[in-house]
Amino acid sequence: MAKFKTKLTKTIVITASAVLMVAAFILDVVEKSLSSYGGWLTMLREIVVLTAFLLFYFFIESIWKREQSSAKKFGFALVISLVVIVGAGFLSIIPSSGFDVKNYVLDPLGFDAIVWANVFSVVIGTMSIIILLLIRDIIFSKRKKGTRRNFLSFIALALASALFTFTLRPLESNIVTSLLLGLTVAAIVANSFRLSWIVYLTKREKLFNIVYGFLLLCIFIGFDILMTESIIIGKSVAYHSPSLKSFISSVTLFATVYFGMTFVSTLFHLPTAEAFDRKSSEVSSLHNLSRLVTQVFDFEELVDSVTTMTLEVCEAKSSWLEIMKVSQTPTNTRRLLGGVRSVEEEIETVSRKNISLDDTLAIMNANGESIRKLALESKKAIIVDEVKNDKRTQHLGNLGTKFESIIIVPLVTHDKVIGVLYATKDMSFGFDRDDVEVITAFADQATIAIENSRLIEKSLERERLMREMILAQDMQRKLLPQKLPALAEVDLEALSTPAFEVGGDYYDFTMLDEHHLAILVGDVSGKGVSAAFYMAEMKGIFQSISKIYREPRQFLSQAHAALSSTIDKRSFISLLYTVLDLRTGLMTVARAGHCPLLHVTQHKGVFIKPTGLGLGMGSSEFFERTIAQEQIRLCANDVVVMYTDGVTEAHTKSGDEFGYERLLQVVEKSGNKSAVEVRDAIIMAVDSHMHHESPEDDLTIVVLKWRKD
Amino acid sequence: MSNFKIDTRETSNIHVLDLKGYLDAHTAPELEKAFQSLLDKQKYDIIVNCKDLTYISSAGLGVFMAYIEDVRKNNGDIKLSNMSAKVYNIFDLLGFPLLYDISKEEAEAITKFSSKQK
Repeated sequence: MAKFKTKLTKTIVITASAVLMVAAFILDVVEKSLSSYGGWLTMLREIVVLTAFLLFYFFIESIWKREQSSAKKFGFALVISLVVIVGAGFLSIIPSSGFDVKNYVLDPLGFDAIVWANVFSVVIGTMSIIILLLIRDIIFSKRKKGTRRNFLSFIALALASALFTFTLRPLESNIVTSLLLGLTVAAIVANSFRLSWIVYLTKREKLFNIVYGFLLLCIFIGFDILMTESIIIGKSVAYHSPSLKSFISSVTLFATVYFGMTFVSTLFHLPTAEAFDRKSSEVSSLHNLSRLVTQVFDFEELVDSVTTMTLEVCEAKSSWLEIMKVSQTPTNTRRLLGGVRSVEEEIETVSRKNISLDDTLAIMNANGESIRKLALESKKAIIVDEVKNDKRTQHLGNLGTKFESIIIVPLVTHDKVIGVLYATKDMSFGFDRDDVEVITAFADQATIAIENSRLIEKSLERERLMREMILAQDMQRKLLPQKLPALAEVDLEALSTPAFEVGGDYYDFTMLDEHHLAILVGDVSGKGVSAAFYMAEMKGIFQSISKIYREPRQFLSQAHAALSSTIDKRSFISLLYTVLDLRTGLMTVARAGHCPLLHVTQHKGVFIKPTGLGLGMGSSEFFERTIAQEQIRLCANDVVVMYTDGVTEAHTKSGDEFGYERLLQVVEKSGNKSAVEVRDAIIMAVDSHMHHESPEDDLTIVVLKWRKD
Repeated sequence: MSNFKIDTRETSNIHVLDLKGYLDAHTAPELEKAFQSLLDKQKYDIIVNCKDLTYISSAGLGVFMAYIEDVRKNNGDIKLSNMSAKVYNIFDLLGFPLLYDISKEEAEAITKFSSKQK
């Protein structure tokens, strides 16, 4: 009641109520003194009493707390009614002068009877109001469409019964009172089926509810008896106010039926209480599962949630999760370490709940007979009902493990087991069929979450690698000459384009002295980061020893010796190395397994191909013996082209390679052109041969045109 | 990418690997596997018949280099035969003929092994 919210109004209401109750008492005394019953004085007192209780109702309503749980309300109802019934019962034993019943009218035999009548009325009336409000709250806690209507019907009928007493003598009844009583009972029954709140109680609460319901039922049967006219209490209240007595009787009847129904209904719900508890915890756990999805960014948190929720979904004692660790060694390295081995997997406990590390380790180490193995092989959940009597798990009994039943669920994705989830219980036969279903469904969800978590980790890792590759590419570009030597004698042009992020092609220039230009074009076998490393090493060798070993043959032999200690035995570097005397145009060519040099003079091309093994192949002595060198003398407008196999092996989809012949023709045709034009002519020819597909291999071209006569 | 295939045969204690298709970085591990399994069985007289080999990349060449040392240490050899001109050019460019015995016909290679065995 909003209008009674302020403290002042509350005080006024309770005071008025108290004053009216006192007034009713005084009126009682006056009536007794005057011995006048049934007159206007009785009517006045009746109005005073009803007004007092109405005000008192408003007061209680204003301080009423609605938020408490049903169980608490039951407790409260029990305490109040117990105190009142014991108190009233006790007081009724005290001898009093009582009432004389004459012609449906009660006649108090002494003033003490009036006092008791007032006390009983106030106390039991107050209790009725409180009980009514409690029942109202309980019924309204699962409010449905007709709830309010039914409840108000009861109130209306109870009030109608109460007001109808005005027309009768205190103990008189007629057809109308019977009819009203019948209707009231009907309303009570209708209200008493509002019991759905019981379903939602936990098993523990239901047990309490049964006890409370039973006690309340007994107490209110007691009240029903006390309120009959044959008992002093009933007589007292009926004397004080027949309408109040009628109302109280309606309420106690309501309470009796409602609490009785509660008791019976809870009793029937008890066998399913556990199942309901589980279902509701399943619902909340499965709801929590959706939370797993958001935890994929933190693996630790994710696996922790998985074990925690496992405990919840099947009320297990302990739970732990093992995850297969895929070996971190990359496939390539494994291959190098000796052929093709199966992917090494090790298993690791990533999260534990209520079980010691020692226990899980003991179970993990019980290899061979381990139950985990069974789960891994069958890829299905395995339940052991009696750990100590089960053949599969006898060894676990010996380990002194402290559980009686265990369930092992493999986490399977794409037919591959990524982990194993365990849950144990203290009692044997602890996991029933429902548990298995729930925990399996749960494991599926957990699998997805774990997989997602890994995928995210992988994609982050890939992103990081991409950045590293871009960095490597950048570094590699810096290994190539940033600018070409500007010389009067030769027109030089070069280009290198890697096919992938990091390529294996390399070219470089250096002036050995004032008159000697060294040119190197190479191709490191393989691609990617390892190729880039060899390339960096090659650059170091070139820049440091080319000035010491000035003969191309010598240079290649020394480079081989330097490289062979570091290079992998299945890798090699092919090199074409030339030293040009700028004074004479004499070019010395040596080749280590590389594409031959193309020399075009007067529109006629020749491939210069001295023998030589690739760098890194064979022993140093053998290598040195194989390396030959040739000399050519350049004439005016002669063109020399050094290149990698990306040019000659550039092929169409059908496999038709660009080849040496086409290269020769292109260069022969462009005899009068500058170095850059020759280079571009080659590139365009290769590109059109490939029908503008992107090349599969790195492509490097160095073009030199001799300007001197 | 299964355009590469290896068949292994045995003739008079000489093991012949018939290579077919395109040997590059993707398919090189298959050849490695084949060599490794022969070496595991201590078979060191090996002929690689390249009759149907259409292309070999530097990764493919690397496989031969990875095993030749071990094989020769055990008094065996890897001999190559029946190469097409195109494939021979690739081997030749890198100087393989300097390191490996390359025969025109498989029978030639077998004869070379047999004379050694006697």
